[in-house]
Amino acid sequence: MKGYLGEFEELVLLTIASLNEEAYGVAIQQDIEKRAKRTISIGALHSTITRLEEKGFLKSRMGDPTQERGGRRKRIFKITREGKVALNNCKALRDELWSLSKINLSPGK
Amino acid sequence: MKDHYTRKPPGLPNKLLRWYCRNANIEDLEGDLEELFLLNLEHMPARRAKMRYWKDVASLIFSYALKRRREQAAFHVFSSTFFHPAMLKNYFVIATRSLARHKFFAAVNTIGLAVGMSISLLLIAMLSFLWRYDDFHSRQDNIYRIISTKHDGSRNEKFASAPSLLADKLKDEYAGIDQAIRINANLAGEADYEGMRLPLNGYFVDASFLDVFTFPLLKGNARSALTKPNALLITETASKKMFGQGDALGKIISMPPFGDFEITGVLKDHPKNTHFHFEVLASYQTLLSLQREGKWKVENPWKEFRNSYVYLLLQDGIEPERLENFLADVSGETYGSEDDLKVSFRLQALNDITPGEDLYNQIGPSWDYISLSIFACLTLMILLPACFNYANISISRALKRMKEIGLRKVMGGQRNQIFIQFITETVVIAFIALVIAAGMFHFIREQFLMLIVGSDALELNVDVRTASYFVLFALFVGLTSGLVPALYLSKLTPIYALKAKNTARGFTSLNFRKFLVVSQFALSLGFIMGVVVVLNQYRYTVSHDMGFNKENILDVELQQTNPEIFRNEFSRLSSVQKISMSSGVLGTTISGRVMVKTPEKSDSAEVFQMFVDHQFIPNLGIDLVAGENFSPDSRSNQRFVIVNEEFLKAFRITDPRAAAGQTFLLGNSQEVTVIGVVRNFHYMDLSEPVKSFFFRCDPAEFRFANIKVGSANIFSSISEMESTWKTLAPNQRFTARFFEDEIEETYSFYFSMVKICGFLGFLAITISCLGLLGMVVFTVENRVKEIGIRKVMGASEINVIYLLSKHFANLMLVAALIAVPVTWMFFEKVYLRVYFYRINIGFTEPRLSLLFMMFIGLATILSQTMRAAKANPVDSLRSE
Repeated sequence: MKGYLGEFEELVLLTIASLNEEAYGVAIQQDIEKRAKRTISIGALHSTITRLEEKGFLKSRMGDPTQERGGRRKRIFKITREGKVALNNCKALRDELWSLSKINLSPGK
Repeated sequence: MKDHYTRKPPGLPNKLLRWYCRNANIEDLEGDLEELFLLNLEHMPARRAKMRYWKDVASLIFSYALKRRREQAAFHVFSSTFFHPAMLKNYFVIATRSLARHKFFAAVNTIGLAVGMSISLLLIAMLSFLWRYDDFHSRQDNIYRIISTKHDGSRNEKFASAPSLLADKLKDEYAGIDQAIRINANLAGEADYEGMRLPLNGYFVDASFLDVFTFPLLKGNARSALTKPNALLITETASKKMFGQGDALGKIISMPPFGDFEITGVLKDHPKNTHFHFEVLASYQTLLSLQREGKWKVENPWKEFRNSYVYLLLQDGIEPERLENFLADVSGETYGSEDDLKVSFRLQALNDITPGEDLYNQIGPSWDYISLSIFACLTLMILLPACFNYANISISRALKRMKEIGLRKVMGGQRNQIFIQFITETVVIAFIALVIAAGMFHFIREQFLMLIVGSDALELNVDVRTASYFVLFALFVGLTSGLVPALYLSKLTPIYALKAKNTARGFTSLNFRKFLVVSQFALSLGFIMGVVVVLNQYRYTVSHDMGFNKENILDVELQQTNPEIFRNEFSRLSSVQKISMSSGVLGTTISGRVMVKTPEKSDSAEVFQMFVDHQFIPNLGIDLVAGENFSPDSRSNQRFVIVNEEFLKAFRITDPRAAAGQTFLLGNSQEVTVIGVVRNFHYMDLSEPVKSFFFRCDPAEFRFANIKVGSANIFSSISEMESTWKTLAPNQRFTARFFEDEIEETYSFYFSMVKICGFLGFLAITISCLGLLGMVVFTVENRVKEIGIRKVMGASEINVIYLLSKHFANLMLVAALIAVPVTWMFFEKVYLRVYFYRINIGFTEPRLSLLFMMFIGLATILSQTMRAAKANPVDSLRSE
């Protein structure tokens, strides 16, 4: 397994997975901002995406030009098989840790 | 409306981003930015949205994402290198092909550049030689010359000379001076060795002269050669002239008035690149012993130091500034008590002498910065139009090459690659031009050397160093003249270029071209007018009534013959009508001036003088207004003078008749009486006004015999005279010249001026005509179809010619309107001011030059337009 998956990277990867065909820069950013309630700069987002691409967890293609965005095309991102494996590994680790937890993790108390 | 306006993101950050990313693909990022901006607009004011936009752009610019994209988009290191060998070779091949294909324009461009460069080569060769002045002395960095400035009230004249006493003072009182050399440049005269006479020039120098300066001795001992009085070193060439192949060492030659000299050494001829110029060097001791014997008088050596020079050899580590302070003290000490004249001294390093400041009383030939800069300006005035021409023609031909450029760009050619390609093409042309220019340089070199004064000290041979300057220069010319077209052509957008649409703002580039043509023709017109003006001034001068008769008079140099014997012998010849004697040649330059005072010493004036005999005034037909001529009895004549009218004016004598018998003092003692008054005449050349002048009579001063010749057969009478001369002075050459010729020769500098102006004018007009030709041919080529259609529609040849030529003829008219007043101002207010008697520039000069220029210009235009107009329209219309 190459590359370690950071918290923000995981977040981005999962968001891309959830957006499916609509996973492009602004959509990802808006989604994360909405769900995670944190503001992220477009520069930081693209940097992370670039790193993920380099790690082989993501691939991209240019979408079709539309009238909005001044006729500019979007770059649509898609998770690769390696990306899926990495996410699964991540989740498995968490699940394992959750199940092993000796104290009650529900925030009620 | 407002909505539409605010819905657009600000332009500047986006531009910034694009510039930063260069060729990286950021389409999606730009889209993201715009989308974000629009989203932001929905829930915040436009101003904040814009702020946010800026922030987003900044965050992108500093992001890892862009860094990676830029890296990926960049070309391979080699792909954009300018000087990749393969690409350079390709540029070169393309350049030669394109030149070979457009032979006409290549030729016009090359010849234009070559003409412009030829005169620059002259300047370069000259500078390259002047920079090597005095660089062969082994201790050159430590050698300094003392130069002085005379402050006498109004003027501060700078002299290269300095009082010789300074040398002693410095040696005694200042530590750190290795040698102080006194040089006196008065050593000049006719040397005599067993009847062999040869005029020699040189210097009296201190014994250590040869230590300080590197002038190798071929024979003799450098240590002792100049220690004794009357020791003389002679150069190899002078020695050969004087003694043939024989050994010069130990020979005694006499050189009046300095006495006899013993030759103690033979010097190798000094190279031309030194500010010294000598054939002999005598020991300074000679001068000192002459002074002791009272044969060489120096009145006040601190004040009068003409031809006296002081050179210093400083020890290492001595600061010239400190020494200058010392010199300032010396100056204060010496001249402190004087009111009328103060002299200050400065040091001048050997390497600053030539080319250097413009100083009076130079020791040898000199080159000052001012005249060099004038020459450089003239050179630029020729070179720049040639470069502009190139730019002009290349840009106007851009249309033809647009497809090529467009295709190159589409295939991935970078802007800088196209730039380099066109620069290469220009450099290739510049080098071809260099070859032609070098040929022209070879041809004009001799002419140029003959033209300029001081050519003795100038060589224009091409050695490796000069040649490399030439090559550098050609490269420079190629780069500068190619810059504008290359920038212009590489800027073209491929789409427009492929459509062959001229994207450049046609208006401005057209104006630029018009400006070029106008300025070139204005320049040419200026030079042509210069030639006409100078020629007119020359004609005016030579035909000016000098106030005396100069026809059929032969001036013979008397040399050592006795004037009386000469007169007796020569008057027997049948061809000789009259003989008079004089101390100089009237109307050329004047030998002497004296201060004249009234006996009461109340009035004084500087008066030019000339010594003549009683025959002179009638012989030259000078008008005697009052009084009488000198009497044939020469004894009493020495007390008499014959003055001119200006003299009377200077001493406020109104009636010429009253002048006779008045006495005046010459200098302080000699008393002379006026016996006659002559009408004013030009005793000097016409650059000077007529001032006070008088004739005196002293047979000892006679140098020339003025022989009035019967005009029957000049040649036979001259050979007759020559044989008579042989009996009088068998060892001397008979030198006779016609008075008229001598006067004309005085004005030969006009011919230099005409030659310079004419040559520059020729160059300028060649360049402008080539430029014009290029433009006309191009216009005609581009309008071939239009002409064809016009002719089919019924336009006559005349109509077509008028249509095509009108534009260019207008440009020439504008050039004339600019050039005529400027040239007129220059000659009227600057150049001719130098001459007291001069022409006024009227209408003739501009008209003549205008006619000439219009003729050449129109001939150039018509040669092309007529051909186009005569062509059969079918030929141009048939093929599409």
